[in-house]
Amino acid sequence: MNRALQTISTRLFTRPVLPSSLGILPNAGINFIPCAWIRQHKLTDQQMRLRYKKLHWHKFYNDKWVQRRGGGWDEKMTPENQSFMQEVVYETYTNKESPLKDGPWKHGEYTTNPETIRTGVLGLKLGTLPQWDKKGRKFHVTLVQIIDNHVVNYTPPEMINFRTLFTTRPLRRDLHGKVGMLVVGALSSDPRKFTRAYNGLFEQAGIPPKRKLTRFFVTPNSVIKPGTPLYATHFRCGDYVDVQARSIDFGFQGVMRRYGFRGGPSDEYGATKFHRKRGTVGSGRKHKILPGTRMPGLMGNKLVMMKGLKVWRINTKYNVLYLMGPAVPGPNHGYMRIQDSSLYERKQKLTKDNHPPFPTYYPQDGKILDEELFSDDIYHFDQPTLTLDDVQIAPLTTRRTTAKTAQKKK
Amino acid sequence: MALAFSNTNKFLLNNQHILRSVLILSVRYKQRGHIADHLVEHHRKLPLSKVKTSATEDVSQVNDEKNQNVRTTPHDFKYVYPDFLPNPIPFLRDRILEKLERKDMFRRRQQIDIPEFYVGSVLAVTSADPYAPSRRNRFVGICIQREKHGLKHEFTLRNIVDGLGVEIVYELYNPTITRIEVLKLERRLDENLAYLRDAPPEYCTFPFDMEPVKLPPGSGVPLNTIQVPITSTHWQYKWERHDLKGVLLPPLPRSVRKAAERYSEPWRQWDIMRQYRTEIHDEDRDEIFEDIEKHKQDLAQYRIDSKENIKIIRTRQKAAGRKAILDDSQQTKHSNPPTSK
Repeated sequence: MNRALQTISTRLFTRPVLPSSLGILPNAGINFIPCAWIRQHKLTDQQMRLRYKKLHWHKFYNDKWVQRRGGGWDEKMTPENQSFMQEVVYETYTNKESPLKDGPWKHGEYTTNPETIRTGVLGLKLGTLPQWDKKGRKFHVTLVQIIDNHVVNYTPPEMINFRTLFTTRPLRRDLHGKVGMLVVGALSSDPRKFTRAYNGLFEQAGIPPKRKLTRFFVTPNSVIKPGTPLYATHFRCGDYVDVQARSIDFGFQGVMRRYGFRGGPSDEYGATKFHRKRGTVGSGRKHKILPGTRMPGLMGNKLVMMKGLKVWRINTKYNVLYLMGPAVPGPNHGYMRIQDSSLYERKQKLTKDNHPPFPTYYPQDGKILDEELFSDDIYHFDQPTLTLDDVQIAPLTTRRTTAKTAQKKK
Repeated sequence: MALAFSNTNKFLLNNQHILRSVLILSVRYKQRGHIADHLVEHHRKLPLSKVKTSATEDVSQVNDEKNQNVRTTPHDFKYVYPDFLPNPIPFLRDRILEKLERKDMFRRRQQIDIPEFYVGSVLAVTSADPYAPSRRNRFVGICIQREKHGLKHEFTLRNIVDGLGVEIVYELYNPTITRIEVLKLERRLDENLAYLRDAPPEYCTFPFDMEPVKLPPGSGVPLNTIQVPITSTHWQYKWERHDLKGVLLPPLPRSVRKAAERYSEPWRQWDIMRQYRTEIHDEDRDEIFEDIEKHKQDLAQYRIDSKENIKIIRTRQKAAGRKAILDDSQQTKHSNPPTSK
């Protein structure tokens, strides 16, 4: 009887913790059961994470909000009619009046004291390449193509309800109420593939419907007018970048691959039934498996963030970024959210004079760019071969000739 | 499950050598957050993507140019330029990735003359070494294998120095390599000569002051049909299990021969998909070869403009030995650059 009551109460009370400013205790209300032996459950953030395990499942876009996929049935059109319909679709978007004709919104000013957050960009992972720096050291680089990005929508900070958005993976608490939301879309496609409700999202911006949408939370001074395209030159060479992507799906994996456990010896040493197992699962005393014990399960296919990746090169013709490292999450042709780095060291270097194009790169403002932009440290193959004549080598330290004890002089 | 990703090194059949990334042979159907490969190209070519004026050019112009210049690519293109072969894992391929990679490769080939060589030819490679007093390190050796594709292309040179076998793996596009000379251009019967490690030392020793062997102009690349005996008692790999033609194996016990028969895969000669993966196909072939032809013209122009004419003359003379490989139609084109000295 006691056990049953306990289980009921844990399920009722372990809801997301309400903010204390409201003055409501979790126990109060209809769900209060007066029992002397039940404690108030105040779970810490980590405990919350372990119970819900939704840390990695924050949805930047959910199909349930607006139904996306539509059409797809055989309309039984002749090939001529099909080609005609296609032409019509292409022409409507070329002839559409874009809201940008009135000019972009007023550019805000880049400030460091009340910190400014710029938009991010949606990219597609292409693959990896090796590159060399000016000292002849090799490193790997991932290419990310920024195909067809447009800003779709902007909501000011007053219209955002953070409690509904961030229940499991909270945005920084100090930004609540100060930050607006920009919706960015990638890969424009045929409106016949989507529902009318989804297509309606893009009418104000005057762009064809996008295959993929995400949100970026920005400060009001870095607002961009819906309908503006975003390019790879939104970033500069030498800047640092955070990348969010869904990691590769490994499926149901054992403990050795998932967490890197050592496992057991092979059959050669006479090991009976212990080659790839976990071993013990708890301690002798506590009759309980602690939440968060590492066990086999589904591995990968969840949102992963990688911070502080350097942008080595930019190709303006194909809108490709060369990011540091081969270990960027996700399979090839996977979507990636790319934002300015939130690391403290990297943010410190950005000042009013030295900051990336704010709020984005507008091609009219600047001159015609070179096809390829390089950062200072990288070797680009137009340069002559690296003869490391300038490299200085530290001299060898003098060897210890006398014994250590002899040096101790009293 | 045998590793099919390395075109030349097929000796690694042990499970321990299978890397974590190799397990993912294809993208799982449950994987979310990615796009199908054919849709990426579809979106790049859609006119909807050029609705608003972009800072970039259109990518679809390439298709129109292709039909105008129909070239016959030579049949041995994949042997002469193995680094331009595509990634054998098809789902890791991307057209723009390869295009940008090729651009870097051509730029590097403008700076340094990367000669044509095969597995079994003797090379001398000078690279920049900050630890040497002359700041240069020269190594001579026989090319054992050529692996990987694109900018990652590597070749290993083997030699025996002071009685010790030394193998060095050089990345072909490493910018610290100052010079690659072919001292002896020839081919062997196998794609991978790792069995030289178990062969007597005289088959791998080459003096560092070896003089380059000049081939008569107009001759093809000679094929060395030497059969190397394997004399060491402990073999690194089980040479009898791989179909090696340039090897003279000692008489083996019956059990070993039977095991070799069990592990042999005689159906591989009819494996069309494996052949497909090692080749460049019609869609890409013309595009790649066009880029190479364009690079050659740019290179000729670059060398006219640059000051290092003396070095150019030497390399052009060597080209006489390579002419025979290409088709007759190409010979006339190649005769033009030498006259522009």
